[in-house]
Amino acid sequence: MKYKSQKIAQDFYTFAVLLFFVQIAVGIIAAFQFIWPDFFILNFNTVRTLHINALVVWLLTGLMGATYFVVPEESQSELWSIPLARFQFWATVVAVTVVVVGYIWMGLNPQANKFVFGTTLLNEGREYIEAPRWADLLIALSVILFLFNNFMTMYKSRRWTGIQGTLLGGLTFLTLMYLPGMFYTKSMVKDQFWWWWVVHLWVEGSWEVIAGALLAFMLMKVTNAPRHVLERWMYIEVALVLFTGILGLGHHYYWIGTPRYWLWVGGIFSALEPIPLLLMVWDAFRVTREHRVVSNRLGLFYAVAHAIFNFVGAGLWGVIHTLPMVNKWTHGTQITTAHGHLAFYGAYVLLVVSMIYITLPLIRGATEFNTSRGYRSFWWMTISMIFIVLTITGAGMVQTYMERLLGLDYVTVKANYNLWFWVFRAIFGFGFLYGVFLFVVDFFKLGKEPVEVPVKVASETTT
Amino acid sequence: MSNKGVRNLFIFGSLFFFVILLGLTFDTMSRIDKRAPEITEEVDQGKRLWHKYDCIGCHTILGNGSYFAPDLTKTTANKPVSYIKKFLVNPRKVNPRASMPVLGITEEEAEKIVAFLDWISKVDTNGWPPEPVLAAVPQAMAGGAAVYQKYDCSACHMIGGVGGTSGPDLTHVASRQPDPEWHRRHLVDPASVVPDSAMPPFAHLSEEELNQLVDYLLTLK
Ligand code: HEC
Ligand code: HEC
Ligand code: HEM
Ligand code: HEM
Ligand SMILES: [Fe+2]
Repeated sequence: MKYKSQKIAQDFYTFAVLLFFVQIAVGIIAAFQFIWPDFFILNFNTVRTLHINALVVWLLTGLMGATYFVVPEESQSELWSIPLARFQFWATVVAVTVVVVGYIWMGLNPQANKFVFGTTLLNEGREYIEAPRWADLLIALSVILFLFNNFMTMYKSRRWTGIQGTLLGGLTFLTLMYLPGMFYTKSMVKDQFWWWWVVHLWVEGSWEVIAGALLAFMLMKVTNAPRHVLERWMYIEVALVLFTGILGLGHHYYWIGTPRYWLWVGGIFSALEPIPLLLMVWDAFRVTREHRVVSNRLGLFYAVAHAIFNFVGAGLWGVIHTLPMVNKWTHGTQITTAHGHLAFYGAYVLLVVSMIYITLPLIRGATEFNTSRGYRSFWWMTISMIFIVLTITGAGMVQTYMERLLGLDYVTVKANYNLWFWVFRAIFGFGFLYGVFLFVVDFFKLGKEPVEVPVKVASETTT
Repeated sequence: MSNKGVRNLFIFGSLFFFVILLGLTFDTMSRIDKRAPEITEEVDQGKRLWHKYDCIGCHTILGNGSYFAPDLTKTTANKPVSYIKKFLVNPRKVNPRASMPVLGITEEEAEKIVAFLDWISKVDTNGWPPEPVLAAVPQAMAGGAAVYQKYDCSACHMIGGVGGTSGPDLTHVASRQPDPEWHRRHLVDPASVVPDSAMPPFAHLSEEELNQLVDYLLTLK
């Protein structure tokens, strides 16, 4: 670590890592509720809300931590204000805690979600952006403080690198795209129209831009590859992300009461969305091939895995159901869940985890650290996730066939034909949880335990 | 191209696509209201209740949301309003096997939610959800089975694994209820034999249809 203000990243990481564990524990409860709906004191909707909100919040705090590391590094100066960063961190923690308490309260007593000044008090009742309006404002304020701090750092040092420019551009876009979710519309069609602005332009727009910038940063850090080549490819990748992704938004406007021309706009542009993701994979392999001296093998391993699973989860699992003639049958089935899981895991979970593995050793001043737990964690998480996704893809295919094509009843398909898929998902969930557990332990121990020198096996020629 | 060149391509290209998106958004906003019925005060209040109870945390609507419970885009087109209202107030009383919890919805609230669901069912969704193309073509049936088909009893009931799950499975109903008189009264006015029944009354059946239907039900042992 070159600048002592980069240490603040660790606080954000700690909060993110703990929430990651909570997210998965809650996900397993949700999975069991598919088998026994009354499995838990909170209803499914509350459990699911906790699962996906924990996900979004920990990814965002992880990205904030990463940014607090990257910006001083890139602008070669201390952060503009450490107290502001610390304040912003605690404000986020307090706001998130209060919102979670509100969700649980509403889960125990749905009537508590009263109308106050025309909006709901505890839960907005809109997927992913369930946080009530007053919390939206606090979140926006926290993010603005965060952006301001980083911009001031760059401004003061007057070193604008492509990586940090793109990173902050992506973060600004992210903040702006939170706004379309902050007003009420009487028409459910308009409601969903703006809701997708937030959700789609986040995951397939601004977040993907951030991922492009961080990928370039990570490759540069661990391999010492030259900046100008990395930045050139980064610009091409993020440009293609937005050229395809902005109008790719149309793939959510096929069936919600919007005009027919979206079938063309959405179909054509979203079908091109995998291209930049494939380019990122190629880029990651290009760098690893050309630059053999690697300072952090585990970090690079995670970064490359991120690029691959971003392409597989978002690109492949996305493109299979993105054309209108397919989506007409699969829209709103478990196929969507399968895609949602692999895309978020590959694109953003692995991104934040790889950023942690690359920056945390630097923050803690560890030139070497034990990597075996990190690898084991990766395989437990990834293999479990692959099986969860395959199970749920199976459930989605059965659902599409039986409910949508044959016309069987939704509840029958869910309770009878798909039962075993739910059972297997829940089982693999524990495998994933174990992987996360290893990661959490590793996070707290990294650089703080003696480095084990790998014991060389005396001879390979055992008979 | 220099790095600066690609950077500018990225910035201005993205702005270009964003401007197109704004244009399409503007156009779409001017057309949405024409593709749906007028939004009355009641529909709006129903929508607010939809948010209050976080229905989207279990259900999809227009295909978006959670996949734990059936899509509600066409609910009022498939089920009678009287049934939906009773179900919303207390799902487990209507259907002992229901997974939907009792949320504390009052009767007035149910009224408004139904108005909202009815509005949704009339939105022009470019033909979604599609008709199941591979559904078995119903064979021409005779007698009571034809009456059963004509009045769409299978929207709520299942016989031999085919049909809905809102009401009890009728595969062996005659073993539970062998009395023809009971069935006759039940069909015409369910609440007269099952207090507070959520099944809609079928008082509009002709005498002959009623006889055939009861005979058919009694074969289901
Ligand atoms: C905890 C999850 C959950 C919540 C919250 C929930 N539902 Fe349900 N709902 C279900 C499930 C599951 C079913 C399928 C039938 C069953 O097993 O109960 C269902 C069935 C229904 C049905 C009957 C559909 C049919 O075609 O027969 C309607 C109507 C309905 N829900 C409306 C609502 C409304 C309106 C809300 C919000 C006020 C809501 N639900 C909230 C889980 C939920
Ligand atoms: C909107 C849903 C709905 C529709 C449509 C419907 N039912 Fe029902 N049915 C119910 C419910 C709910 C019950 C349970 C309450 C009761 O027994 O009245 C029920 C109960 C019954 C029972 C008694 C079952 C038992 O085990 O006690 C019979 C028989 C029956 N329905 C026949 C029919 C027939 C025949 C039709 C078509 C003419 C029909 N139902 C249409 C919802 C429906
Ligand atoms: C990292 C990038 C991505 C993430 C995190 C992501 C995540 C998601 C999630 C969570 C949903 C479900 C939303 C809901 O809850 O209703 C969804 C829906 C969808 N995604 Fe993605 N996605 C990504 C990229 C892509 C790409 C590149 C494509 C297409 C090529 C795509 C195609 C779709 C489609 C068609 C749907 C709608 C499914 C339906 O009709 O039900 N996604 N995505
Ligand atoms: C890092 C890993 C995970 C990520 C990124 C993730 C992400 C998500 C997302 C984005 C959704 C909502 C969108 C959708 O349904 O399409 C969701 C829902 C859900 N998740 Fe996860 N999840 C993860 C792990 C798990 C695990 C381990 C389990 C349990 C075994 C689980 C169980 C569920 C369930 C049951 C739902 C509700 C799905 C539905 O509505 O049908 N998740 N998750
Ligand atoms: Fe999308």
